[in-house]
Amino acid sequence: MSKKKIWQPSNEPLHAGKQQLLLDLDDVTVELGGQKVLADINLCIHRGEFIGLIGPNGAGKTTLLRVMLGLLQPSKGRVDFADSTKVAYVPQRGAAMGGAVPVSVSEVVSMGSTDREAVSQALADVDLSELATKRFGELSGGQQQRVLIARALAGQAHMLILDEPTTGIDDATEIDFFNILKRLKKLGVTILMVSHDLEAVLEEAGRVICLNRRVLYDGLPQQFEVSSIGPICMRPSIGSCIINIRR
Amino acid sequence: MFELFQYEFMVRAMVAGILAAVMLPVLGSFLVARRYSLMADSLAHVSLAGIGLGLLVGSSPILWAVPVAIAGGIMLEHLRQSGRLSGENGLAVLMSGGLAIAVVLAGLAQNQSVNFASYLFGSITTTTWSDVLLLSGLAVIILGVVGFNYRQLVHMVFDEDGARIMGYRVQFLNYLLVSLAAVAVVLAMRVVGGLLIGALLVIPVLAASQLARSFRGTIWWSVVLGVLAVLGGLAVAFYAGLAAGGAIVLAALVLFGLALLLRP
Repeated sequence: MSKKKIWQPSNEPLHAGKQQLLLDLDDVTVELGGQKVLADINLCIHRGEFIGLIGPNGAGKTTLLRVMLGLLQPSKGRVDFADSTKVAYVPQRGAAMGGAVPVSVSEVVSMGSTDREAVSQALADVDLSELATKRFGELSGGQQQRVLIARALAGQAHMLILDEPTTGIDDATEIDFFNILKRLKKLGVTILMVSHDLEAVLEEAGRVICLNRRVLYDGLPQQFEVSSIGPICMRPSIGSCIINIRR
Repeated sequence: MFELFQYEFMVRAMVAGILAAVMLPVLGSFLVARRYSLMADSLAHVSLAGIGLGLLVGSSPILWAVPVAIAGGIMLEHLRQSGRLSGENGLAVLMSGGLAIAVVLAGLAQNQSVNFASYLFGSITTTTWSDVLLLSGLAVIILGVVGFNYRQLVHMVFDEDGARIMGYRVQFLNYLLVSLAAVAVVLAMRVVGGLLIGALLVIPVLAASQLARSFRGTIWWSVVLGVLAVLGGLAVAFYAGLAAGGAIVLAALVLFGLALLLRP
């Protein structure tokens, strides 16, 4: 018998009207090399949510993403997507793309769709139309993340999974980046973002999931700070749950 | 000046060289983007084991080399995908192992050292029209398969996880790419020889990467530079009395150097 999900958006006024279930993880356990990397993960993700996934190094965040993306099969449990849900992934190290051989920005976005209009529109949506013919490898980290988001948009993704998207980008670029994510959220795109940047997650996300092989916290960002987990996490010297708290 | 066109063997050599210079860089673009630059050399060395086997049993060396090269390439890809061996280490094992077996087998085959040397160092000027016909057919098949699977292949070589998420059959595409490269390497081996064939697959691509801004542009530039290297190398070899295979690869290296200087 499956456990009750921690997060119940139907009980939260903040999420009223956004209850269309997109992804359901039911008692997911992952073992790699005999080690339990994830244990009994129960999560429901609904259309239009903006979720920040946080946790210490080795907490299983990337493993959880890979399970959600279908790149890794759980040892136990089920991962169910709503019918015809399109998921796009924005990897942490987009810069690896086009290292040995150039690939243009428009070619990267075209991986999401063959429709040229959709590609142009997606580039316009992330304010990068003028860079369409540039080499992807020559862009800054922030611009590369936006190109990968454009690829997801061109492919009409319902859900965007981002792995540490703000690592190595400056504050101004980060603000632009979150503005784009907010625009996408308004369009109904579901966003799941792994981040070490606790302040950004608490500011931008509508829901916080704190993971350390198990789900330690799943709820509103405001309540996270006063929960039993939040204060520990916010003290890097003790908790080591969250790595980077900007001063 | 155009004396070389008066000789039919040179015309055959040029046609065969152009065909190799078209299909090898096209496949090479995907392999280099996949960070498999040494794949061609490894496949060539493994196929030399097949050549040695063919010479030993006294049947067509090429017919033995093709399946041996495909099997070697698929085995390597399988080991990489299963995580048992990194791509780089697998290539090193394949390369040295293939050549070692080739040398042993060729040594066992009686009176075949000259024949074996023609596969090692190339013998483009002894190309027959049936060789040219075979290369033409292969070039059409390779370009057709690559064109048909272009979008999936591009996605796979630049972002394997992304391609899996899109639902592409990544494992199949990897095997397809390696198999096409194996067949192309074996059949084009006469152009520059097994020891240098990798150069024709990789150097035009690396030169093109300096000049192009896109992957598609890289493919076009690499074909142009590959053809220039073959024609230039053959011409120099003809007039200066040099070994054709080596001259072609040196011409490719000169073009690579120029591309480095001209990089925008």
